Amino acid sequence: MEFLLEVNTEEMPGSHIKAALEQLALKIEEGLVSENVHVSRLLTYGTCRRLVVTGSFAPEQEDRVEDVTGPPKAVAYDADGKPTAAAIGFAKKHGIELESLVVLKTERGEYAGARKIIKGRPTREILENLIPQAILSLSFPKMMRWGENQLRFSRPIKNILCLCGEKTVNFSVGQVTSCDWTQGHKIFFPEKISPKGLSEYKKSLAGLSVIVDPDQRKKIIRRQIGKKLSPLEAKILPDDELLEKLIYDVESPYVFLGQFPGEYLKLPIEVLSTAMREGQNLFSVIKGKKQLSYFIGVADTPKDAKGLIRQGNERVLRARLEDARFFWQQDLRIRFSRRYDDLDRIVYQEKLGSYHDKTQRLKKICSYLAGKMDAKLKKKQAMEAAELSKIDLLTDMVREFPSLQGRMGGLYAKEEGIPFQVWKAVYEHYQPTSLEDAVPSTVNGAVLSIADKLDSIVGAMGVGVEVSGSKDPFGLRRNAQGICKIIIDKKLDFSLGRLLDKTLKVYGEIFDGSKALIKKQCLDFFRGRLQHIYEHQGYRYDFVNAALAPGIDNIYHTYLRLKALDGLKESAQFEPMILIAKRVNNILKDQPMYRVNSELLYEKQERELHTTFSIIMDNVQAMIARGEFAKAQRMVFRIKSSVNSFFDHVLVMAEDKRLKQNRLALLQSISKLLTQIADYSQIVLD
Amino acid sequence: MSVQELIMSLQRFWADQGCYLAQPYDLEVGAGTMTPDTFFRVLDKRPWKVAYVQPSRRPTDGRFGENPHRVQKHFQYQVIIKPSLADIQDIYLECLSALGISLRDHDLRFDEDNWESPTVGAWGVGWQVLLDGLEITQFTYFQQAGGVDLFPVPVEITYGLERLEMFLEGKEDIYDLKWSEDVSYRDLRFVEEKEFSAYNFDLADINMLRRSFNMNLKEGQRLIDKNALLPAYDVCLKCSHLFNLLDSRGAISVTERVKMIAQIRALVIQIAQKYVAREA
Repeated sequence: MEFLLEVNTEEMPGSHIKAALEQLALKIEEGLVSENVHVSRLLTYGTCRRLVVTGSFAPEQEDRVEDVTGPPKAVAYDADGKPTAAAIGFAKKHGIELESLVVLKTERGEYAGARKIIKGRPTREILENLIPQAILSLSFPKMMRWGENQLRFSRPIKNILCLCGEKTVNFSVGQVTSCDWTQGHKIFFPEKISPKGLSEYKKSLAGLSVIVDPDQRKKIIRRQIGKKLSPLEAKILPDDELLEKLIYDVESPYVFLGQFPGEYLKLPIEVLSTAMREGQNLFSVIKGKKQLSYFIGVADTPKDAKGLIRQGNERVLRARLEDARFFWQQDLRIRFSRRYDDLDRIVYQEKLGSYHDKTQRLKKICSYLAGKMDAKLKKKQAMEAAELSKIDLLTDMVREFPSLQGRMGGLYAKEEGIPFQVWKAVYEHYQPTSLEDAVPSTVNGAVLSIADKLDSIVGAMGVGVEVSGSKDPFGLRRNAQGICKIIIDKKLDFSLGRLLDKTLKVYGEIFDGSKALIKKQCLDFFRGRLQHIYEHQGYRYDFVNAALAPGIDNIYHTYLRLKALDGLKESAQFEPMILIAKRVNNILKDQPMYRVNSELLYEKQERELHTTFSIIMDNVQAMIARGEFAKAQRMVFRIKSSVNSFFDHVLVMAEDKRLKQNRLALLQSISKLLTQIADYSQIVLD
Repeated sequence: MSVQELIMSLQRFWADQGCYLAQPYDLEVGAGTMTPDTFFRVLDKRPWKVAYVQPSRRPTDGRFGENPHRVQKHFQYQVIIKPSLADIQDIYLECLSALGISLRDHDLRFDEDNWESPTVGAWGVGWQVLLDGLEITQFTYFQQAGGVDLFPVPVEITYGLERLEMFLEGKEDIYDLKWSEDVSYRDLRFVEEKEFSAYNFDLADINMLRRSFNMNLKEGQRLIDKNALLPAYDVCLKCSHLFNLLDSRGAISVTERVKMIAQIRALVIQIAQKYVAREA
């Protein structure tokens, strides 16, 4: 039977809809499966005003077999196999025909009884309970109440259409009772329709200017944008976040092309595109890398016959650009770098001082970190960039558009004639803002970004800020992930521990807790973030644990180790080697550390193993130091046959205590070498 | 349609919806939400429908009369309906049509915008209403005021009168608007904007404002202790405006800002709780 549900609401935020649809479909599917109703083709659609779930369900539950057990077989039947009084009484009590009595085999033995077939309930009846529960169980990032309803939802629910087959599924949610109708586009075609099923629903709504399928709206928007811009041979400045929002904001997508006076093109593209996007949801138009004096908007309308929508948006945009130009000119009146001392007016964090204090710290951390980079970097440049990095917080532009912080500072520094290596570092030092965002393109930018983020993490940990669950008031997770991503993407090879020491030293004696403790907290925090990043990238959790086990002091090396390990999983060596590692580990469990004495190596196989190990050891150490983990791993695995024949011929737990300890010591050195690459014993084998 | 005709149309429309037409409150406030006709009346359980014009002051928005759409004082048209009606959006659309806006020729959007005022411990969920990209209304389902959960839930519709009028007249400069057939916005407001911008940014006496803020803060607590809730709330409004003036004078550091807002909010929350207890 075809099922169709549409929850009609006032305009939900675009960011709420996808997740709500997934939750709703899942609840319905789980609810039906647990009731033994067969479900197929569950699909969702949605707009800011509609959550739609459709599917094909069996018309009723599957029939159920239920056994009713009576007296034991020996009691229920006499010697001739005829039912006794006990059996007759039982049958009567349960309304069972005597002829239907059978012998049931149970765990406790054989019993007289009956096998009843319970007819499945109609699916519609089950849906009458399930659907309102599913709707009420939805959770949204922000929820509200309205009118005199106790229930909470993303926005007020206006109407609920729910059909199973051609009949309405009857229930209520708050003050709304389910029905068999819905309405077309709120402004253009608010008339009611009563569709008989999904295809009619989609078709009728399309006729009333509502496209319910978000993928279809996306295609329409893309196609219309292409059409509007092809005469200009231009494109929109890509902005997936805005596009995703608009796809759900409109039921009837209409793309329009507008213009603004060319004089505003003197403003940087960053400023223009931010002024367009924030508040007005407009796309910038570019040709190559050049911005054109056009914009693209997406309206919720079948048409703009009189061009009023375009004109209105142009008028609003002119005012916003005029504002932006005012801020730009105001900010340029004062020499950017001269405003440095004013930073002491802005508090960074009560216990951590002003942004002036923060910048002073960044200079020192940058100077240290720049010294660690292999390129012939000028520490001076990194320090200069650090000094300029927070000044834009004083500008009118950033006060108006906070999302421009960093980029604005870079642009103002550029206007002042500061060299590329410096202004670019300021420009990109907030990057990456997510795991998907690009890392700084310049080394100076990377250095400044790491310093800025680490200063925030150490400071927050130092003053006792806690990060747990949804609690992360200073965005420390994002900061730590940003640092890891920069190190990995830019292949930066340095000790995190020493950088933490330096940062703690720069902070001086302002924290209550000991530096060692704060450092440990930071390292644990980074370990958690690395785990998150690698699992997010699709690596197996046991591989991640194995690769992190040797330590996270060199973050780039954790990545190289993980890659080496991951590259191994297809090889024939993989399983045997893991097994050996596990075996070595098991035998060493709870043993104190011993030392190898080569004089005590009696058996041929243990002497052989010792020799092989020594040769491998000499070769591998240098590879590990260079970060050549795949190569080191291949080399280490050559020890396999020696270890096997050792285990086959040598008794580790020998009676002679000295021999036993010497053999354990040999295995301990092997284990120690292995765990410099990965803790292979943590790998889970099928 | 001039500003005054716009106001008259809104008054007519919302009176027809059963709203009581209040007069503007006689203290400086940042928004229509802050006046007693909204603040106290959303707290209790009784139905309430009110509409009024409220001059609203935001000292930092002053631009000496030089910016075509930013002013340190503007006019809001505030509507409160409690409990919110199931068809309140439709009524709102009807209202726009009644103002002569042909919605079928425009792009009207309810764009997510959740409102919050830490000073009065209030927040709500709703939208900014965009008409061809211009924000003409803030539409909010109030969830909390004075730290109190609101039930029944009120809906607040706040029109920016100048914005709406700029749309209706197709003007790009606020000062070119017609207040009436003969009087322009410039005639009425230009000098005021210039002088008050100077006052807000340069002339206001910081020490006097600070002393006044602290005195009022004390007075507020004293009045609360005497259960004089309405006067105590007036004093909070004064504190709020004094805070805004100090802010536009650039006299408040970030930490101080947090502290001062918390001080006002602490008073407002006491007032709200006492009021709720009294009305229960």
